Amino acid sequence: MAKKKLHRIINIGFVMVFFALITWGIFQLPRIVEAFYSTIVVSGAYLGIWMGLKVTLALTMAGALLGTFFGALICSMRMSNIRSLQILGQILVAVLRGTPVVMLLMFLYFFVFVGNYIEAMYVAMLGYGLNTGSHMAEIFRTSIEAINPREIEAARMLGFSRSRAFFFITLPQSWKIAKPIYESCIVSLIQWTSVAGYISVTELTRIVNGLGSRTGNPFFALFLGIVIYLGLAYTVRFIFWIDNKRGLAQ
Amino acid sequence: MIKVENLHKNYGELRVLNGIDADIDEGECIAIIGGSGAGKSVFLRSMAMLEIPDQGTIWIEGENITTPGFNLNKMREKMGMVYQGFHLFSHLNVLDNITLAPRKILGMSQPKAQQKAMELLEMVGLTAKAKAMPQQLSGGQCQRIAIARCLAMNPKIILFDEPTSALDPTMVGEVLAIIRKLLGRGITMLIVTHEMGFAQDVASRIFYMDEGIIYEQGSPERIFNSPQLPKTKNFIQKLKLFSYEIVSKDFDLIAMVASIDQFCQKYGLTKEHIFTAQLLLEEIVTSLLRKCYTDRQPDIQFTIEYAEFTKKLKLFIVYRGESINIIEEGMDEIQRMILTGKSESYTHSYDSGANHLKMII
Repeated sequence: MAKKKLHRIINIGFVMVFFALITWGIFQLPRIVEAFYSTIVVSGAYLGIWMGLKVTLALTMAGALLGTFFGALICSMRMSNIRSLQILGQILVAVLRGTPVVMLLMFLYFFVFVGNYIEAMYVAMLGYGLNTGSHMAEIFRTSIEAINPREIEAARMLGFSRSRAFFFITLPQSWKIAKPIYESCIVSLIQWTSVAGYISVTELTRIVNGLGSRTGNPFFALFLGIVIYLGLAYTVRFIFWIDNKRGLAQ
Repeated sequence: MIKVENLHKNYGELRVLNGIDADIDEGECIAIIGGSGAGKSVFLRSMAMLEIPDQGTIWIEGENITTPGFNLNKMREKMGMVYQGFHLFSHLNVLDNITLAPRKILGMSQPKAQQKAMELLEMVGLTAKAKAMPQQLSGGQCQRIAIARCLAMNPKIILFDEPTSALDPTMVGEVLAIIRKLLGRGITMLIVTHEMGFAQDVASRIFYMDEGIIYEQGSPERIFNSPQLPKTKNFIQKLKLFSYEIVSKDFDLIAMVASIDQFCQKYGLTKEHIFTAQLLLEEIVTSLLRKCYTDRQPDIQFTIEYAEFTKKLKLFIVYRGESINIIEEGMDEIQRMILTGKSESYTHSYDSGANHLKMII
């Protein structure tokens, strides 16, 4: 009996707290909107955020494209018949994948390209390309190795050359296997672009951070930043979802 | 058409091909038989240069395909291969599996390739499956599609590498029927097979492989009915045996029937054969238990002997005790009728405390 009563009191307590919060929120709403308006819109901060977003997007796209390119390159090294290329591929994967992205970026910017007056942006693109490439190389390799070699042999017996058999048989099948991991690789790339500020690239996180310290009110800037990153991640998800749907429809 | 000279292939220490010579004319159908490890598949695969021979030459239509730098892709367009494991392209449906090569290699237009594919599907009796994915098909259907895929390239030579070995016994027939249809179309066929009856029916020549060479070759009649060399004789007349012993009254009848079934399935006996063997043995064993071993533990042994080539099944039943012909003396009218009806002949003899019953099915 006593237990039941206790439960009831707790339930009522929860409901009351919930309503209290909502009421407080409703009364506070104009102030929140006002504060948001003044920190983000009136101050012109949204322009900065838009700039940052563009940089983040550029970094992501360049990272993904270069990453796919480097990934394919390293993957073909690892799968080649030449022993020295195989070892080189293994070393590249081990080094690039094992190094934290920030370290890699700083190494490139402050050591490799120092004094060459190459813009930080391009260095960052290269860094992300290399890092993503090392991950993608392994994704590609495992998904190519998952293909039944006898199917490729069957294609060769029909007269397909090595490269055409790869293009018509291996590639479509391994792409299907690689896709989900490839997608999550790009999503994590988006998030890793947030450290490009270390080598003075003004991307979204750097802008948001600056905005917070300048206005003394980091909440709105951070909140907006998180929402934008989430939006980007879901955009990627959406693109792959559409692609999947199209694939299923065929 | 195909000429092979002194073909050698080693894997490390293992000598697989040991100097093969062969001459095959256009339109011939060669069945390659032999024990496992005799190098049949390696020989077949080296015809397509899927295994690179260590030594020796292969001429196809007068061209030496073993020359380094020879355009193998061009040569393989004229040559088809059907595998034990089908190896259909798993990301494409049946129709695309068949049309891919004609479209991409021969440059055929999509509608033309599809039309041709549908004709081939009709030939193998699978038009209804044109849109199915390979994973949805049975083994026999997959193999028929694989044959259609190979035919779509109008090959002059088809290599069959144990086309029915991976199939359920019930599906072997449908695939063999398709291969039979290809006879007389001028396609040169090389078939590695364990289906002796099929080999005898369709082949124009039999290659018996052993010791890494074509040990003996000749017409099916010669190889199967009067093989000349000792190893061929041994292989052709080889018998498959299965023995079972019953020494306790509460033996496991179900297990016995199941193991007979397993043995028969393994050697590809027909359903009727299997059923008859099971029925006869079951009847005899139960009658024996009822008649002879009422007061003591049974002592029954039986052996099934299957001559792979003649497809004859023999049952030998040995039971210890007094002389008694169980079929004459231990069965009722109906049982006797079944037994004599199902078996071709039977004999009974008694020798030093043991009854011997021989039956031929």
